[in-house]
Amino acid sequence: MHVSRMQQFLTGKRLDWTLVCLAFLVALLPVRVLRPWTNDVARLVLIPLVPVTHLSSSLRDRIRPSLSSFEPSRPGFASTEVLALEAEVERLRTLYEASRLDASRLEESLVALRATSTRAGRGALIDVAAATGSIVATSNGENDGIVRINAGTRHGVVPGSAVFIDGDVFAGLVSEDVGSFISSVTPSTRLPSIGCRIYPATGSDPTQPIGSAPGAVLKPTGRGTWTADVASAGELAVGMVARVADDRMPRSALGARVGRVVAIAPIEQVPLARRIEVEPILKAKDAASAVVVLEMGVLGAGEGGREPAGARTSTPLDGGRR
Amino acid sequence: MHWSVFIIAVLLASALDAGLGGLFEVGSLRAEILPSIVVFVALSAPKKIVVRAAMLVGLVADLFAPVILGDGTPLVVPGPRVLAFALGAAAVIPLRGLLYRQNPLSNSAAVAIFSAFTALAWIVMSILRSVVTGGDVPWWPATGTSELVVQFLGALGDAVLALPVFWVLTRTKPIWGFETKTRLTPGVAREGL
Repeated sequence: MHVSRMQQFLTGKRLDWTLVCLAFLVALLPVRVLRPWTNDVARLVLIPLVPVTHLSSSLRDRIRPSLSSFEPSRPGFASTEVLALEAEVERLRTLYEASRLDASRLEESLVALRATSTRAGRGALIDVAAATGSIVATSNGENDGIVRINAGTRHGVVPGSAVFIDGDVFAGLVSEDVGSFISSVTPSTRLPSIGCRIYPATGSDPTQPIGSAPGAVLKPTGRGTWTADVASAGELAVGMVARVADDRMPRSALGARVGRVVAIAPIEQVPLARRIEVEPILKAKDAASAVVVLEMGVLGAGEGGREPAGARTSTPLDGGRR
Repeated sequence: MHWSVFIIAVLLASALDAGLGGLFEVGSLRAEILPSIVVFVALSAPKKIVVRAAMLVGLVADLFAPVILGDGTPLVVPGPRVLAFALGAAAVIPLRGLLYRQNPLSNSAAVAIFSAFTALAWIVMSILRSVVTGGDVPWWPATGTSELVVQFLGALGDAVLALPVFWVLTRTKPIWGFETKTRLTPGVAREGL
């Protein structure tokens, strides 16, 4: 009798309605209730499938490589060598811009130190390591969702680490959802905002002060691009490059390329400013591999710093990222 | 229906969708394999298990698609796609008698309808969730209308991708273990025999 009633429940419509009600309730639960367990459950389901996602990700990269490595206007010969040289130039340019921004930041720190005499040397030399991982999965159902890489706490990855693709393109930050072998990356286009400076594509003029490059706070548009209001005083043109200049970002991200200006429009209400639209140079989901830069902390005099297992030491923006 | 085959197919399709990612992407139009699996089951499996199977697929879809909160952290919210897939499947069930299943275009049409209903239900659930919990909608700062357009374009993409996917699924039909029953109803013609 009891068994037949159970069977009736399992085969009847009542179970469907019970499941619908349950799903409805769970869907409306607040973040603090879901956060402790749902991400872990998702990771448990995903981990056994990583070989499949990795294989299909490699297949996708083989069939449809990212657009940055394809330039139809370029003559077809020796394109690999040209691409490698162009990437090297971009990396060196980023190193140069990073050092200029860093110098500017150090000068500010020095002023603050002199003023208060208490501030520690944040912005001084830091020990940096990098963990390389392949992009194994993207968020289903979304064009611009979370990206997963096969590097986790076992490789020294910690939440908040900067993630780079294609050498020096800032792709996003490692989110709180970090597993032993896999971690989620919040794409740069989904971060609440990124402080940047806008430089000409050929790099900044060394004779000009760093402050002459217009600053902008990039805000996501929800369409995979950013928008920002920029003071009209500085030079602005389509094709200029936005580079990270944000104290909230990891220091290794300083000077890294984020996006390219694709549109400039006047703002009627604010005549002294212009609105720009910036598109990412390369999206994380389109890349095959990514590098997570792990900042160990500020180095004291004669101190070596820790190095995580499986990570290799390198400078923040050196060529060993790829 | 063999549930083991179904679960393996769903997990494989989800993994392929997550890995292949931008391969089936044209602009903001992104096609996925998973809706074809649900529609295939909805058209072939017994009606009473279709909604349940769709809800299971919705749960897997939710696990594979975390929402990015306003502070940039990801959160898996199980539920919105569970309900959305259930509604999508419920919309496809009445089509079982109307569609000529040997025609691949009819399957694609069913997938488009399923994806459109799923998208609509997911958007409604996301708005409802943002109202109840006070958080942002997953497509913030874009508008709900633009997300609806993106999702409907995705439904068209799903329909196009359904053509090859259904070709494969139809060939694997024997291993799914769908029961095929022929019901004979008494009528004047039969009584006359």
